[in-house]
Amino acid sequence: MITLNHYLFVSGALFALGLAGVVVRRNIIIIFMCLEMMLSAANLALVGFSRFRVTDGLPDYAAHSLVFFTITVAAAEVAVGLAVIVALYRTRQSVEVDTITRMQG
Amino acid sequence: MSVFNLEALLALLGLFVLLLEAFVPSVSSKALAGICMAGVAGVLVLLVTVAGGQDALPAFIGAYHQLDTLAIFYKAFALVITFLVLWLTLEAAPYLSKFTLDGKLGEMFSLPLFVCVGMMWMASAKDLVTVFVSLELVTVSFYVLVAYTRKSALALEAGVKYLILGALSTGVLVFGVAWVYGATGALSFEGITKAVQVGGVNKTALLFGVSFLLAGLGFKVAAVPFQMWVPDVYQGASTPTTVFLSVGSKAAGFAVLTRVIDALTVSGSMVRQEVITVLSIAGAVTVVVGSLPALFQTNVKRLLAYSSISHAGFLLLALAARDSVRVDLAPGGTVAFYLATYLPMTVLGFAALIQMRLNGRGEELDDFKGLAQKSPTLAFLITLAFASLAGLPLTAGFFGKMWVMLGLVDQQLWFALVCAIIGAAAGFYYYFRVILAMFTPEESTEPVRMGALARGVCVVLGCTIIVLGVYPKPLQMLLAKVPVAGKNATGH
Repeated sequence: MITLNHYLFVSGALFALGLAGVVVRRNIIIIFMCLEMMLSAANLALVGFSRFRVTDGLPDYAAHSLVFFTITVAAAEVAVGLAVIVALYRTRQSVEVDTITRMQG
Repeated sequence: MSVFNLEALLALLGLFVLLLEAFVPSVSSKALAGICMAGVAGVLVLLVTVAGGQDALPAFIGAYHQLDTLAIFYKAFALVITFLVLWLTLEAAPYLSKFTLDGKLGEMFSLPLFVCVGMMWMASAKDLVTVFVSLELVTVSFYVLVAYTRKSALALEAGVKYLILGALSTGVLVFGVAWVYGATGALSFEGITKAVQVGGVNKTALLFGVSFLLAGLGFKVAAVPFQMWVPDVYQGASTPTTVFLSVGSKAAGFAVLTRVIDALTVSGSMVRQEVITVLSIAGAVTVVVGSLPALFQTNVKRLLAYSSISHAGFLLLALAARDSVRVDLAPGGTVAFYLATYLPMTVLGFAALIQMRLNGRGEELDDFKGLAQKSPTLAFLITLAFASLAGLPLTAGFFGKMWVMLGLVDQQLWFALVCAIIGAAAGFYYYFRVILAMFTPEESTEPVRMGALARGVCVVLGCTIIVLGVYPKPLQMLLAKVPVAGKNATGH
């Protein structure tokens, strides 16, 4: 029997993996993928919580609606984000974070 | 005409300007800016005239949208700052357009309108879904705005940094929302307020969610330890965008924070003490961490970025000391008052930077040398703005800082008070360094000129600083009516 805790565990693991990827990886595209993974982790937690909060035999759909918004927003974010990353690649011929260290201090 | 239609009107105007810019190449930047500014001013007039005689909202929207004093204040705030940003963009157009691909400013006029729509929605949000969607409307528009002058290497770098850290904060925020929902079973502020009062909530899960939620919002308002992006992004982005980030984005973040904190620290709440402790520590550290690097800055734009972090710290402390009733301001009112005084001085400071660029000068401290001889008006206005940012009495910045400190005394948050005093004292040093540079004589005699319109707007901003510093009563009265959480369930 799969309980809420299983979903939360997977969600937490996904989130931690994503966060670790953001911190450790140097390639901006990979970092961006890790960020999307964190959003998916949050979505999984939302759906899990919503599915297990049953009233009158039906799950609470409030959090489901937020998941749809999150998916849409993530798509918009990717569209804009990739455009910015492509612009960076065109000027620097690289998408490593080490190339964007001109401003410091 | 109901107030909740104003956002829709503004969004339609934004779409119209976007299409106009794309399909009618002959239309000039000036015309686009004119249309946008007229539209924003028109919506502001509608807001002020309609807001007084507000009817009850229809049920379908009343569940997601509230129109209390605070909401109307933040809506007006968003409109005013958008108007000023559009003006600054037009003002800076001669040098900004060198950095865009096609030599035009195009979307730099329509995107601020979408940001404004997001900020206005956020001001009225009653639940975390609305907060999330409007916050993202603001953030995604800012990704484009920050990187828009992409021929400038710094702008592109700033754009990527803002993108990565902004997306990270989104992930953290949604994860926090998920856990708060999981713990309380509610996404609306009203539901969360009830859940934390009644009990029967898993406190560990709730605190876990709240910490992620506050971290996500902390990114948006640049609170320590999530302030790393601020100096780089503020320095790299075009100056009008920097103003928008520094004032608009911060105000919107604090509008949401006020609601969230209201819900979490309602009397009898199970997490009240923890949230206030976290806020006061984060605020205190933010003030210090923002102030200390500013002492060694030679780039004035970067200095203003650090100063913006330090002001965010003061705003967080205002939220931490929110139960203090010494001044006639309701909880949340001190924050709103502080932001209202923060607007004219910050805009004036950055407008001066734009004037320096237009005169072929840079943003380094040395570029300000001898300004008092060359343009006494500009030098006087900059002095006013920086003195107010430092919190000199008789300027707008004074009352905000004083009330925050008095609130800290009332709540006996001594550690935070000490940090606030250190931050304020450091502020006097680094702001007056710029003022001192302006009054240092310099050999070169190239004149510094200001356009008539720029001079007019800057003088109005300067007058606002003095009026708010000498006679803050009207604004205080306006904000004294801000309702206390839990008593405004119907949202009027």
